[in-house]
Amino acid sequence: MTTTTSPGADTGNRKPGAASAPERRATGANFLRGTGGKLLLFAVVAGTLGAVAAATLGSGSWPAALSVDLTKPLDDVSDWIIDNRDTHPLFLYFLLHLSNTATAAVNAVYGTLVSMGALGVGVAAALVAWRAGGMGRTGLRVAATALGALAVCGLLGMWDATVLTLALMAVAVVVAAVIGALLGLGAGLSDRFDRALRPVLDTMQVLPAFAYLLPFVLIFGTGTPAALFATVIYAAPPMTRLTALGLRGAAPTVLEASASLGSSPLQRLWTARLPLARKEMFLGLNQTIMMALSMVVIAALVGAGGLGEEVYEALSTVDVGKALAAGIPIVLLAIMLDRTTGAAGEQLDAVVTDRPRLLRGWWTWAGIAVATAAAVLAGRGTGLADWPKAWTYDISQPVNVFNDSVIAQLREGLPVIGGTQVWAEHFTNWLLNPLNAGLHAMPWWLLLLLVAGFALLVGTWRTALTGVLALAAVGVMGVWPKSLNTLSQVLAGLLLTLVLGFAIGILAARVGWVERALRPLLDAMQTMPQFVYLIPVVALFAVGRSAAIIAAVVYALPAVVRITTQGLRQVDPAAMEAASSMGASGFQQLRQVQLPLARPALLLAVNQGVVLVLAVVIVGGLVGGGALGYDVVFGLSRGELGTGLVAGMAIVCLGLMLDRVTQPTAAARKDT
Amino acid sequence: MSAEKPQETVFSVRNLWKVFGPKADRIPGSAHAGLPAGELREKTGCTAAVRDVSFDVRKGEVFVVMGLSGSGKSTLVRCLTRLIEPTSGKLSIDGEDVLAMDRARLRELRRHRAAMVFQHFGLLPHRTVLDNVAYGLEIQGLGKAQRRAKAAEVVEKVGLTGMENRRPSQLSGGQQQRVGLARALAVDPEVLLFDEPFSALDPLIRRDMQEEVIRLHREEGRTMVFITHDLSEALRLGDRIALMRDGEIVQLGTPEEIVASPADDYVRDFVRDVPREQVITVRHVMRAAEGDEAETGPAITPGATVAEAIEAVARAGSPARVMDNGRCLGVVDSDLLLGVVAGTRQEEVAA
Ligand SMILES: Nc1ncnc2c1ncn2[C@@H]1O[C@H](COP(=O)(O)OP(=O)(O)OP(=O)(O)O)[C@@H](O)[C@H]1O
Ligand SMILES: [Mg+2]
Repeated sequence: MTTTTSPGADTGNRKPGAASAPERRATGANFLRGTGGKLLLFAVVAGTLGAVAAATLGSGSWPAALSVDLTKPLDDVSDWIIDNRDTHPLFLYFLLHLSNTATAAVNAVYGTLVSMGALGVGVAAALVAWRAGGMGRTGLRVAATALGALAVCGLLGMWDATVLTLALMAVAVVVAAVIGALLGLGAGLSDRFDRALRPVLDTMQVLPAFAYLLPFVLIFGTGTPAALFATVIYAAPPMTRLTALGLRGAAPTVLEASASLGSSPLQRLWTARLPLARKEMFLGLNQTIMMALSMVVIAALVGAGGLGEEVYEALSTVDVGKALAAGIPIVLLAIMLDRTTGAAGEQLDAVVTDRPRLLRGWWTWAGIAVATAAAVLAGRGTGLADWPKAWTYDISQPVNVFNDSVIAQLREGLPVIGGTQVWAEHFTNWLLNPLNAGLHAMPWWLLLLLVAGFALLVGTWRTALTGVLALAAVGVMGVWPKSLNTLSQVLAGLLLTLVLGFAIGILAARVGWVERALRPLLDAMQTMPQFVYLIPVVALFAVGRSAAIIAAVVYALPAVVRITTQGLRQVDPAAMEAASSMGASGFQQLRQVQLPLARPALLLAVNQGVVLVLAVVIVGGLVGGGALGYDVVFGLSRGELGTGLVAGMAIVCLGLMLDRVTQPTAAARKDT
Repeated sequence: MSAEKPQETVFSVRNLWKVFGPKADRIPGSAHAGLPAGELREKTGCTAAVRDVSFDVRKGEVFVVMGLSGSGKSTLVRCLTRLIEPTSGKLSIDGEDVLAMDRARLRELRRHRAAMVFQHFGLLPHRTVLDNVAYGLEIQGLGKAQRRAKAAEVVEKVGLTGMENRRPSQLSGGQQQRVGLARALAVDPEVLLFDEPFSALDPLIRRDMQEEVIRLHREEGRTMVFITHDLSEALRLGDRIALMRDGEIVQLGTPEEIVASPADDYVRDFVRDVPREQVITVRHVMRAAEGDEAETGPAITPGATVAEAIEAVARAGSPARVMDNGRCLGVVDSDLLLGVVAGTRQEEVAA
């Protein structure tokens, strides 16, 4: 996923002129005083309530009396659906059509790609990338990237899987983009619709990808339709959000000028509003594509097939070599798609100079079609229609050898400092286990109180209420211990993420070249699907909870680093100067001026971090993370949908709770 | 510039109000209507951007509305085509009630009869100059070839030849406003409405553009309503000027009338620094001829400015005769003219 912040945003935001230093210092002092006061109040309230609750409610795990077993009824629903899928009118006349259409569409695209052959697909992709990149130097570079990426996919022996993933992607992206654009259109034009849609989108954004799979499996069974619909739903929000944003941001002066010439509302929309929103819509499309890729890969769990399935199978037998052979194409596809749509987006700003007729408008597309057709025929003629077997290279063997020798050394055999797996054990023993044990030992009502207190501290009473209710729902569903297990993993991961993220972020904010060096790396990392992060961590840390957590940390780091850096950078230079003129040392400056002023950004980093960590900790159920993630995997693979669905709902609640508790709404409003 | 004989009116505005705020429609005609702006806002939470304004725009004239920032000029000009819906009052174009128009009729009005040029241009950034100019025609539903041909003509008329395929971002401010002007001209409207079209431009370019407007007006005689906060611009361009303050028109008259006999201190303050000799004409300064003054001395027209008369008198060394069709209307001597320059003499300029 790419973030909405563009790479240049952090440099251009310094405001000239500034409040005087005393004012700024007062802000810092208020921050401390305000937090301190709240903390004190909270401690008193929590203490009293805790004593009362301990006396009346008892302590320990969530009481059985307060929980409801949902597994059984959900299993019944699932059974009923399975029994009635072929007979009930709802299925016959609606859902069956949907699923048939989905399957047919994916098959059609897949069939087309297959019949185009490797050469045809490669040429078409390169030409489209070239066109999207503006047919100049950028175009050539993007085209080369696309061609290279596809060639490596073929070389690794993954051509078929790649094509299937691409086919799924194509259908999912088209549907998600259309739905997203339509919803965005509604939200962009109607305030009421926007208000209704916003909380839904906000909530969808914090839900881990895994949570989307189960409802669709319940309705459609495993297979292409479930995978496709889950992907569409998962990927549509950014398109919706950014379309609405673009439409709302359209320059009022232009719209007025259009109205003054007597345009009808529809004309105005078509000739002014939509074109003015093109940039945002393109960014939305880019994000939708990246999210769709992320999900299509995960959807291997519900029978999507393609590259994700290869990774999934390899991971379940802990075959690092095979997992890598399928993981690399996923990474390359991500890069190819991101670069192509990114270049196309930049092209919108570019000014068209005079081009030969053949390179203008529809002529280009016609040319691309002709060239592709020629490539297809050439491929057929030369036997390049299918990727030739002789041109593949199986890296799994050498990778596994490497893994067993060098990486194994890294894992355990490093002198003095130990090795990654040793560290992971320490991590588990010294942080994860105590945290987990502590959470389990903690009386349930105390945890609820803690959540409420924390939410009040950073947010509003509304976020606190939502947080508490969400956590209580987890208890009611009877998955309290498992959820605590997941929660402990998230907290451990979050802690690690924040320590690393803030450290790197602060460093990058203060040292220019670190920032410049990190930027491309962060960009690349943010486009990667969650799934691929699991591969290297399994190699380095073996399967287990710590592997899942490390993957989560790596996945969440880029966003946290980026937000931290930007937040610190945006602190008014004048305030910094005032501090240093009063003789503050670099560290004092950071602690007394920069950090307090960057508080909203840091809170946002925490919020993003927790959402991203949760997403991967859940996916980590695939590599021994256990807990709720495992229940989902188990439910899916064994057809025990009741268990899976309950776990899914608990994940949703956990996600909501973690998001609301860290949502810096009130704080941000106060500070800006 | 001529506004001599009574002509047909294009826009006729009577008791027009535009009030922003809650329950705005209750303000006109209520006890609050007369309150000063600050008090009105305090009492009702409303802003009366245009209050009880009446005027006629005559065919072929340049009608200038001027006033300080926030005096309601933009609101007023937008009310004319109901880009902003007036709160109350009467408004007609060529005798047709604008406020009674339905949507289709209103679109018709905006498409063919009144086109507007904006301070911030409002160009479509993704279109070329040519397509921006053709935009109004596109909205009218003209075919591509037809509208481009017409747009090309207008592009030439405003001096943008050779830039047809550029994007607005590649043009200077002055050039962008030429595109804005061309876009309005392309639909061949009966009235051109300008909302501070040149205030975002630097002084030299502004002068160029003013010349351009004067030239266009001279060539085509199109009716124009021109909003500005710049007095010299108003005096240069306007056949008649309406001066606004806090939503009201405090004075309406020819440039000369406004400079020569300001209606109140507000207007007097406004015109204090205007070189009066360049605005006031001898018609309003002359006295009756005495003795043989009607027979000798240099001849000047009644429309000549005081500055021109000074030159003639200084050259001849004698009073000048104000001649209209061979008839002597009166004379001006150096005392009279000096009095005007010094501002010690109150001319009788009837509104
Ligand atoms: N949409 C609106 N809602 C509320 N008040 C408005 C609105 N538009 C204008 N006003 C108010 O109406 C008054 C007149 O505004 P208007 O824009 O017409 O002034 P103006 O003379 O064009 O000023 P300028 O020279 O700055 O363009 C101002 O006090 C302004 O604040
Ligand atoms: Mg204005």
